[in-house]
Amino acid sequence: MEPVVSLVDVGVRYKRKGSIFRRSSYYQALESVNLEIFPGETLGVLGRNGAGKSTLLRVLAGILHPDQGEVINNGHSVSLLALQAGFDPVLNGHENAILSGMLQGLTRKEVTSRVDEIREYADIGEFFNEPVRTYSTGMRARLGFAIATITRPDVLLIDEVLGVGDQEFREKSEQTLTTRIKSGQSVVLVTHSQAQTRHLCDRLVELEHGLVHAVERV
Amino acid sequence: MNEDLDPEVAFEWPRDAMRDGDWSVAGVRWRVMRKVYPDHPAPWFQGIASHLRAGELDQAQGLIDIAKDKYPNHPSALILPAELAIKHKQWPIAQGLVSQAQELHAANPQTWIISADLAELREDFEEASACLCKAIECAPDRPNLLKRYAELAMDAEKYEEAQRRWGILRDRFPEVQAGYQRGAQAASLDGDNALSKDLLLKLKYGPEYISPDEHIETNQANQADQAVHAKPSQSPLMMLFGLIWTKAMFNLHSEVRRNYLSFGWWVIEPLMYMAVYQLVFGLLLNRGGENYSVLLMTGLIPWMWTLKAISASSGSIFGGQSLMLQVGVHPIMFPMVMLVQATVKQIPVFILLMGFVWFNGIGPGSHWLMLLPIMLVQLLFTTAASLAVAGIMPFVRDLLNLVPTGLTLLMFLSGIFYDYRTIDEKWHSLFLLNPVAFLIKCYREVLVDQAAPDFSGLAWRGVLCAIACGLLVVMYHRLRYVYPRAVME
Repeated sequence: MEPVVSLVDVGVRYKRKGSIFRRSSYYQALESVNLEIFPGETLGVLGRNGAGKSTLLRVLAGILHPDQGEVINNGHSVSLLALQAGFDPVLNGHENAILSGMLQGLTRKEVTSRVDEIREYADIGEFFNEPVRTYSTGMRARLGFAIATITRPDVLLIDEVLGVGDQEFREKSEQTLTTRIKSGQSVVLVTHSQAQTRHLCDRLVELEHGLVHAVERV
Repeated sequence: MNEDLDPEVAFEWPRDAMRDGDWSVAGVRWRVMRKVYPDHPAPWFQGIASHLRAGELDQAQGLIDIAKDKYPNHPSALILPAELAIKHKQWPIAQGLVSQAQELHAANPQTWIISADLAELREDFEEASACLCKAIECAPDRPNLLKRYAELAMDAEKYEEAQRRWGILRDRFPEVQAGYQRGAQAASLDGDNALSKDLLLKLKYGPEYISPDEHIETNQANQADQAVHAKPSQSPLMMLFGLIWTKAMFNLHSEVRRNYLSFGWWVIEPLMYMAVYQLVFGLLLNRGGENYSVLLMTGLIPWMWTLKAISASSGSIFGGQSLMLQVGVHPIMFPMVMLVQATVKQIPVFILLMGFVWFNGIGPGSHWLMLLPIMLVQLLFTTAASLAVAGIMPFVRDLLNLVPTGLTLLMFLSGIFYDYRTIDEKWHSLFLLNPVAFLIKCYREVLVDQAAPDFSGLAWRGVLCAIACGLLVVMYHRLRYVYPRAVME
């Protein structure tokens, strides 16, 4: 099977900018990572804070270009599940839905045609027409998740977001994502929860100090 | 014990122990039941079964001898002795009894269960499977039989067959967890990870959990949109324009809603500036002259357009850090949004300016049309300046501190609250090299002097600014992936 996206010997290093009192230094976030993502598979990425997980997702999404190696993607859309992307607290839920949806790559027409779907999914009632600054954290999370899930990239990258909102919504969001995973979409899931990865993933990759430490088939 | 008690009710007592797997206790309780109900077959045969399970084979043998004589036609009179023979590893005896039971009691599931036990001990997978099939036919309401049927295939490492059998269990008894849990194991061992994952999810969320096919059906309406997204209906450029416009409009909405006077501030703010300058230069320093307020307005209002666009753009790429890292939006969006915002806000202010000029006795006329090329050149200059300032900042952050000072210097050098003609003439050509000074001169030529501006000067400045804009757009495009790193580092 041909991979959807491949990373070949990918390395990313960040510069820690200096000042007149301090010299610049470098920090190696990823080091020679080789990884393939196959169609329809769910890849779990485990690792401690600072292991390079978020950098890996950004490289996969094409947001960051690696300093070494290459990312091979034959025209597949890859994007991060972007929660509350570009939210403006003064705008209402409807307006934020349009803005956030457009930031995630949809046209205004496309988002407008799906606003009802977002509203229904977020299930925040009349608050949908109120400024987002009046929302509780949970309501904000609900709206953010509802908007983020309307996009359909070929490869969906999820960065530890499965714990949003209250218990009921957590289950709902988890179910939506698992439905996606199940419907044959390629997913890369970064998570701390071992149990969750076991449930959802076909393969696990462990990152440590920017290196792929272990690959395991679940 | 009350002998009038319904035996089935009384039998619940030993059956409780059986259900708990406490076979010795069950054996003792069935002995009590035999005393109370000596003519009922259950206490005899269930007692035998309990002793067999408890491994009390001698006691079982003793009871079998009596029960066989008492109930010779009862199926258990053959099945339980066969079980005992199996325990004693007396295979021919066991086989004889099982064959007899198959002949006489083919409708009894226990007959086929013991037959399957025997076949399994002989490691005859096919025979054991066939016997369990018959047992299931006799007792279709017992999930345990289907479970055993599937486990048999698991033990034989026939995972594809096991998967099929777990599937039957799930169809008939969707509430039985083993169908999903063991089914997932079978699927995984058979190499079908997708099915395995699917079953584990169904186990977690319940069997009503939507399967992928159904999900696609129920979302057919969305499929068109999904297809649209897979292949964007608009070119990336058009999408970027749409995004810049929408974001700018929403930012304006947001800005307006923050204040009680909402749109009013767009007009009040320049008027307040004008009042301050009028007070300081016109009144206190007495630098004004005839129509000083018109001179001030015609300089201040165009200047504020450029000022606001540049100062808002300067830090905009830093402000967009999280968006660039989250959704990979093009960095040019950030200064462009600021530019659009400043430009839209300028429209009512320009109308105010024209009204103000008219109010001061300099009437409108077709010469006002000449403002359009001036505005166009100013737009090009402001775009180039905003893009340049915003584009440099992520690389040379210290410059951000110089932006306000630089803009103040530019303001003082642009002849906003004085007429450039009041400075020494030898400096004029140098002074007008400053594009803002030149543009303000043009605005005043049209609005105050009602004359034509310097079109050739406008033209070459316009072309230069357009070229600069083009180069800056190319630069942004080339550095598209550098900006997210630059703002992070």
